[in-house]
Amino acid sequence: MTAIPNPEEAQAAIEYCYAQGWSDGLPLVPASQPLVDRFLATTTRSPEEVIGEIEQVGRDCTVYLAAVNAAMAGCLPGYFPVVLAAFDALMRERAARGGGWQSTSGPAPMIVVNGPVRHELGFNTAGGAFGPGFRPNATVARAIGLIVRNAFGIRPHVLEQATQGLPGRWSICLAENEEESPWPPFAADGGQPAGTSAVSATLLRTCEFVDNRHTPDPEQVLWDIADTVSRTGSLIFKETSAGVVFCPEHAQMLAEAGFSKRGVQEWLMEHCGRTGADLRRAGKNGLRGIARFADPDPRADDSFTRILPSPRHVPIVVAGARNAAISMVVRIFGEWSGTATPVGPLTAALEHPTTPLGVPS
Amino acid sequence: MPYPILDPTGTIAADREKSPPPRARRRANLHGATVGLLVNTKQNAAPFLDEVGRLLIDRHGAKGTIARTKVNFAAPAPEELVKEMAASCDVIITGIGDCGSCSASAVADGIVFEAAGLPAAAICSDAFKVTADAMAGLRGAPGYRYATTPHPVAVLTPDQVKERAAQVLGDVVALLTHA
Repeated sequence: MTAIPNPEEAQAAIEYCYAQGWSDGLPLVPASQPLVDRFLATTTRSPEEVIGEIEQVGRDCTVYLAAVNAAMAGCLPGYFPVVLAAFDALMRERAARGGGWQSTSGPAPMIVVNGPVRHELGFNTAGGAFGPGFRPNATVARAIGLIVRNAFGIRPHVLEQATQGLPGRWSICLAENEEESPWPPFAADGGQPAGTSAVSATLLRTCEFVDNRHTPDPEQVLWDIADTVSRTGSLIFKETSAGVVFCPEHAQMLAEAGFSKRGVQEWLMEHCGRTGADLRRAGKNGLRGIARFADPDPRADDSFTRILPSPRHVPIVVAGARNAAISMVVRIFGEWSGTATPVGPLTAALEHPTTPLGVPS
Repeated sequence: MPYPILDPTGTIAADREKSPPPRARRRANLHGATVGLLVNTKQNAAPFLDEVGRLLIDRHGAKGTIARTKVNFAAPAPEELVKEMAASCDVIITGIGDCGSCSASAVADGIVFEAAGLPAAAICSDAFKVTADAMAGLRGAPGYRYATTPHPVAVLTPDQVKERAAQVLGDVVALLTHA
């Protein structure tokens, strides 16, 4: 083992990867067979297993290709079961199997990690939840982006047609702050028992902060959140989906006032929406099927249109530090599948002390 | 170097060497032809294709039109729909390719109909030429020709949609015939 790596060789390898068109713009870790073998050793799944297919572009992704891309993204081998679970979770999203990766809206996956794996692998569960700064959070999300680019061949300006894209694409991987959350973990909403290491994922069109350190009244906080959820710019269909990533302070304030997660969801379903006049002013009052259009007819001006059809359309996560009352509205592309994917056992790799896993000791 | 750097794309050379899908025989003209309209649900796609169909009847002697809607605009047209339209139509028009996935998909459908024996004309917004061309390459038909209309399409008024349909008509006829 070389004590000090040769920087010029490393630079040449990085430039080689750029020249092949494999990079998302940032340097890649050049993947070699021994490195990828260490990734594959963390799962019992066959390298040939197909884990995702995008029918319209005629490409699929195997466990092997996911491992190569995860290695290139900068993951440690031990993160690989989380990458696989995140990918499985995403491929359950209708939008991700359909045209989502090609879409003009340029959606970003939001990955949520729950359970003991967060600490075992050193995920950031506290401040700066949306990043950057932490290797597991940053590289697991990046691995998904590289899989879409390389294994599916969906590249910007070609099969990927994002008009503006959005900040955070390929970098949002939250580890829920379960320790300071007053509610059951997000994976429980996705059908996994509390205490399970599991990953949930959906696609986002953007994240919008709600800074409310102004009131001790939880309902005023909810009204503030409802205002952001209800903005007309995000409405394109009859209904929409918007989640809230609550900071611990807002979550605790709501829980102390007696709000369960379901209670918050129902409050938001009831109060989020716009009047017919508001929608008409923005050219979005008419409905043709599920699509909105500008209808000059003012007769529905006084009506109130609710936009969140079910609790599943209002997923709630708790993340970040308990140091300010700042929460995030996350604007979902399509709708969340409502499921969480358990992370495969980490023990196989942990039993081999020579295998680098998780946080370097 | 002891180990090569691994390729993360998984592209197999054999994929690129597939023989191109067959292109349908062109007609001399559209007299008596039944025109299939495969509408992809994008805003203004239905009135746009309806107007193209109407003009083909009025000006080019087409017999009639059969319109079908593709519910999932991002995905290829379902096999059954392709079979049904191939059996009942003589030529096909697909569109409007007006988004990231549906432009590529409109072209992919055109290529499928060609292979089923029907001359096809896909219509895409000109903002999506690169992605439409990329899809043609993926389907083994690089350089596949389709018609374009200037972007945007979704915000056009009904009269503007008719104007656009008239503008693209010549290209559609040329794609479907020897003309």
